[in-house]
Amino acid sequence: MMDDRQIQIFLDSLLPLFKAGVAFTLPLALVSFILGLLLAVITALARLSSWRLPRLIARFYVWVIRGTPLLVQLFIIFYGLPAAGIVLDPFIAAVIGFTLSVGAYSSEIVRAAILSIHKGQWEAAFSVGMSRKQALRRVILPQAARVSVPPLSNSFISLVKDTSLAASITYVEIFRKAQQIVATSYEPLLLYCEAALFYLLFCSVLSALQNYLEKRLDRYSAS
Amino acid sequence: MIEIRDLHKSFGPLAVLKGVDLAVEHGQVMVIIGPSGSGKTTLLRCFNLLETPDKGSLTLNTIKLDFTPGAKIPQRTVLSLRQQTGMVFQSYNLFPHMTAIGNVMEGQITVQKRSKDEARSKALALLDKVGLADKADAYPHQLSGGQQQRVAIARAMAVSPEVLLFDEPTSALDPELVGEVLKVIKQLAREGMTMVIVTHEMKFAADVADRIILMDNGVILEQGTPREVLEQTKNPRALQFLNRLSGEE
Repeated sequence: MMDDRQIQIFLDSLLPLFKAGVAFTLPLALVSFILGLLLAVITALARLSSWRLPRLIARFYVWVIRGTPLLVQLFIIFYGLPAAGIVLDPFIAAVIGFTLSVGAYSSEIVRAAILSIHKGQWEAAFSVGMSRKQALRRVILPQAARVSVPPLSNSFISLVKDTSLAASITYVEIFRKAQQIVATSYEPLLLYCEAALFYLLFCSVLSALQNYLEKRLDRYSAS
Repeated sequence: MIEIRDLHKSFGPLAVLKGVDLAVEHGQVMVIIGPSGSGKTTLLRCFNLLETPDKGSLTLNTIKLDFTPGAKIPQRTVLSLRQQTGMVFQSYNLFPHMTAIGNVMEGQITVQKRSKDEARSKALALLDKVGLADKADAYPHQLSGGQQQRVAIARAMAVSPEVLLFDEPTSALDPELVGEVLKVIKQLAREGMTMVIVTHEMKFAADVADRIILMDNGVILEQGTPREVLEQTKNPRALQFLNRLSGEE
């Protein structure tokens, strides 16, 4: 099925693709996810706020991000903004795009997790004299975090795959590296399958980590 | 010490409290009884403002609150009132992500800004008092209902409240676990803790109460000593309620 030349190309591409994954795909995913989570918590709290303005801003943000394609958002940030005098490095542009995306989608997860915590927990916190802020920080968010680990892990795994979109804004992660090799080797089927294998590998490792994390957090969930 | 005047509370069109007056003296145990839906839990939850009354007034030592419809009570007043009250809930509501001792330390550290060591030694003393010193490091899900409720009592005591509020503390418990919780509450009564208790346990009520309040349909039907309310009442509605209860036993 594969001739010697193809096998050689396959083997020669292993290291460059792996390096692109470790040095470019994963950092992009990690940085965007951490910043995105922060944004998600802020957005979720804004949506649950008793004030109208933060609620409106948060809903508008989620509406815009969820209603437009991520690829289009990346193009606006990387190819569009220079027309307005804002020129961004591909990594920075990608981080901004993915952070906004994670923030919007995950805010729904965080919001649902906060709402899933029983009202009695708020009341117990209030009954010992805590303010809303203290109750949130000490009682509600730690429990909400536990509830949202499985869906957030799924978001992260999706994000790792979505980073392939950054190839379109010249960020040399796994997929763009594969494209570059295809350009000289003329082996699209081989190289794109090899790139897919790397995504599969990374995502499998992350799934295993997710299982481990869920088990560790299980110690008080029997109630 | 606590005085409530003409308290009203509605949920939407449903009037739950229709003008309640009562006073609790320092060191007194007041038990509130009455049929379901009579407003007794809502009344109790007004003591620490988990429910905000629509009308009337509430005085706790030096804090005096007047309620008018739509008016907000300043957050600082709410917090200082709550720091002088402790509450024990029907469904315990322990913090599941903290150990027993963690639950008892939490309010002391977060609200009262005590040092960890101070909070820990006070928490240990309280757990010892409710008979659970050996369960200090257990998580709530590792404890029986009765044990959880005793931790909850220790947690409520930890912030040194002026008054302890109990909302049907044994209703969610298996019958064989009720005794251990009632025993702790009786012990506190003997030590002179001021308490307001909503309960269905009549025998316990007769036993522990200095005053009993019988509520029905948002108003106080009868109030007085256990003898006056449980044995000498002439009020037909009160008699109906008490007879139905004794029929069940």
